[in-house]
Amino acid sequence: MRRPRLPRLPKRIVGLVEDLRRKEDRLSLALSLFIGALVGLVVVAFILLTGRLAAHMYPAGGLGWRRILVPTLGSLLTGYLLYRYFPLARGSGIPQTRAAVFIHDGRISLRSVIGKFICCSTSLASGIALGREGPSVYIGSGLASVIARRLGLSKTQVKWLVPVGGAAALSAAFNTPIAAVLFTLEEIMGDLHAPVLGSVVLASATAWIVLHLVLGDSPLFHVAGYNLVSPGELLIYALLGVIGGLASVAFVKLLLKLRERFLRFPNSTLWLQPVAGGLTVGIFGFFVPQVLGVGYDQVERVLNGDVILQTVLVLAVLKIIATAVAYASGNAGGIFGPSLFIGAMVGASVGGVAHLIFPASTAGPGAYALVGMGAAFAGIVRTPLTSVIMIFELTRDYTIIVPLMISNLIAFFISHKLQREPIYEALAHQDGLHLPSGPFRTDTALWVTSAIRTPPEPFTLEMKVDEARKLAKGSDLESWPVVDDDGLLGMVRVSDVIDATTGSQRPVTIATILKRARPATHNSTIIPHLHSDQPLGLALARMGDTGHNVLPVVSRANARTIIGVVTLADVLHAYGVDPRRVTPPHGTGVIKL
Amino acid sequence: MSDPVAQEQPPLPTATASEFVLTLTLTVAAILLLIIGDTALAKIDRDATRSTAAEEYRVGVNLIAHNRLPDAIEHLRTATTLDRERPVYTVALAQAVVAQGRVLDAEQMLIPLLERDATDGGANLAMARVLTKEGRTDEAKSYYHRAIYGIWPGDAARSRAIARFELIDVLASTGARQELLAELLPIQDESPEDTVLRKRIADYFVLAGSPAKASDIYRDLLRKNPRDANAYVGLGRAALGMGNYPVARSDFLAAQRIAPEDSSIARTIKLADSVIALDPTQRGLGLDEQVRRSRQLVQMTIRSAHRCLDIEAPSVGAALDSVARSLVAPAGVVSRSQAIDENISLAGALWRMREGRCTSRPDDEALALVQDRIAQ
Repeated sequence: MRRPRLPRLPKRIVGLVEDLRRKEDRLSLALSLFIGALVGLVVVAFILLTGRLAAHMYPAGGLGWRRILVPTLGSLLTGYLLYRYFPLARGSGIPQTRAAVFIHDGRISLRSVIGKFICCSTSLASGIALGREGPSVYIGSGLASVIARRLGLSKTQVKWLVPVGGAAALSAAFNTPIAAVLFTLEEIMGDLHAPVLGSVVLASATAWIVLHLVLGDSPLFHVAGYNLVSPGELLIYALLGVIGGLASVAFVKLLLKLRERFLRFPNSTLWLQPVAGGLTVGIFGFFVPQVLGVGYDQVERVLNGDVILQTVLVLAVLKIIATAVAYASGNAGGIFGPSLFIGAMVGASVGGVAHLIFPASTAGPGAYALVGMGAAFAGIVRTPLTSVIMIFELTRDYTIIVPLMISNLIAFFISHKLQREPIYEALAHQDGLHLPSGPFRTDTALWVTSAIRTPPEPFTLEMKVDEARKLAKGSDLESWPVVDDDGLLGMVRVSDVIDATTGSQRPVTIATILKRARPATHNSTIIPHLHSDQPLGLALARMGDTGHNVLPVVSRANARTIIGVVTLADVLHAYGVDPRRVTPPHGTGVIKL
Repeated sequence: MSDPVAQEQPPLPTATASEFVLTLTLTVAAILLLIIGDTALAKIDRDATRSTAAEEYRVGVNLIAHNRLPDAIEHLRTATTLDRERPVYTVALAQAVVAQGRVLDAEQMLIPLLERDATDGGANLAMARVLTKEGRTDEAKSYYHRAIYGIWPGDAARSRAIARFELIDVLASTGARQELLAELLPIQDESPEDTVLRKRIADYFVLAGSPAKASDIYRDLLRKNPRDANAYVGLGRAALGMGNYPVARSDFLAAQRIAPEDSSIARTIKLADSVIALDPTQRGLGLDEQVRRSRQLVQMTIRSAHRCLDIEAPSVGAALDSVARSLVAPAGVVSRSQAIDENISLAGALWRMREGRCTSRPDDEALALVQDRIAQ
């Protein structure tokens, strides 16, 4: 695309701009404010538009046929738009945002952002049982990406600003500024200590302020204050965690299975596939109107104790099926909102039964619905920390926090056991994308401890080189630890010891070799070493840095106490590589003693 | 499905300084435009939501009037969810829920409302009603007071009067005379033209043990309308409360002359006759008559106590019988005077024991009036 010719700026301004662009870190922080405000406002518009349109499209108490026709036609329209114009606007937007961060250097096109806005608005306004938060994250991330690229920022800065936009969007969509920060770090970045933390917090706070300025100070759900009625209730909350976890697994498995089926259909049917979701939602909505749309009104009712046991049970089941079919068939929308809905209904069902059996020693079903929301969110989205904070922020009710944590962790654990792959990762895999994930890395990581071996008898400073050579004879270690009375002093190459014994100027002791081995510029107080709880990959990096194929493993309490050594061969072996089959790099030979 | 990897490949553009400035300017302009747009959208949304909520509320209130509580609750709940700014919706919902017998649910609804605004008159009144239903009268009284002194939209004076009269009803039903009197005194001169209200206040003064104040109100009413039979009856009742039985009887007779077809007036005359025939402390009675009446008073009190205490404590009933049997006719003047005092005091003690355990019955009315008179 040809760029429009712009008027030339005065040199002074150009100088200022260039200066600003050079200080990218500061620029990103300042941009976080702009992005936070812009994204917050766009998301508010998105929420208001979808809400108002939905109220017109399928009004409460409207005719039954309308509840079938509107979602069906809506999904047909979005199906065509997605197929013809905005193929990237399909689904929730979270996997796409992660793909942008980890694969595309933060690139999200303006077209995708506009497409997401239009398709999701149409989809949600027509009653499709999907959420608005995932798409909001994509829209926010996309806007951040577009602005950063148009400003000509570096790839790294563009990449870092994408989650900043996502956090702002979630903060505005859910009215949860802290949870938005946590979700961005926990799910999108996969790292709670990501360097974008400052910018993410700024953007989230700005978006939240904007939301409050426009819509006022009101939580997403108004909830009556709930308390733990008796300590025995914790058992019921634990049971809710189990049931919530199982419901989450059922939902995720059903969604993935159905999506797998839909993906097998020919590409030419892509425009028609969303209709399957629209029709399913429509048929359910004909009999049970509460299934339609995001359903937050119904959630609020249940949270406030308006619970009829049969109704909430039916709603939980229908919403699981409706959302799974709607998402799998390729409609535009997320699963955050449906997760909360499903959780609230499951929680209300468990609470309803518990209150029926133990009316005096249990809180009302509303309290269980509240905890159930967190449990389902933790089980489906797999961000336990975010889910606790999110429920707290959504309801501003702190009293239920302990049951919430218990339930969340149990649901998370069950979901993790029964459905190894988190939903967003699985969805990305189905699209052929392999994105990094925190838990995945942790599960498969190897640690220094898996390659550690007993340390050899070390050289001492006063030791003669002949004596040292004798000590090292028969060992396959290429470097050897040197100690004094206080412990480890450094490592010397065995080859240096051998050279010293055969050379003309024969150094008398190991101390001389150790002194030669340390470059003058090198900080002599830093001894190359490892700890047993460090990743094995670090051993390779340190070996590369120091040039030693053998590194000492030292105690964390006293870094001069050797508890073992790690060799390159052992590291390769731990990774499943046969060191004998590795072609040695230049000049590395066998040391002859 | 489309492959996002394949579609997101174009190289990143490098912006010139002009493009940098233009992008920043456009971003700021977009923010400003969106602030205007969002504010307008939010207003449209708010207005539409409020209007829907108001309609739902109207339908809900209408359904309550037709006694269709479940449907009414459904509409009121929608109104509450849509518009949280109007506590009147939640109050109406809570009251509908109370009417369905779900007092705890109603309480849960009202707590956050009162946490948000403890001075909301409507919410306080609703909470007071809920607590009264739950039998937590003491707590209910404090909510009634908050309702009386709270903030009301619209006709605050009328709403406060409703709250006060409800509190008065509760106090009257629990026999809390002092508190009842305290609530009546501030309103004794209110609405001088509202005859019904004035009569209601006067009746409560009788219940509160202040018949003289009731008498003043009825006299005032009779000055304005000498043909008001009900005012004569009220005046008579006030006279009964003051122990002025003959005057009471003449007031009842005056009422009967104005409304001879009213059978309830005949009953009040009969009541006055019973009281006149029972009270042992009336002036001009001989000692023998006083003894007889005092014994009759004890026996009537025992019979009254029997009716409610027999069921919960048969042994008490047996003890009461033995008390009745032990009543003997004294001979000398001194011993007769002593017997009168003892009988009256015994009857009073039995009556107090009965109070709080037994509900008042119409056939005990004469006895109650005499006991009250003696206790004064």
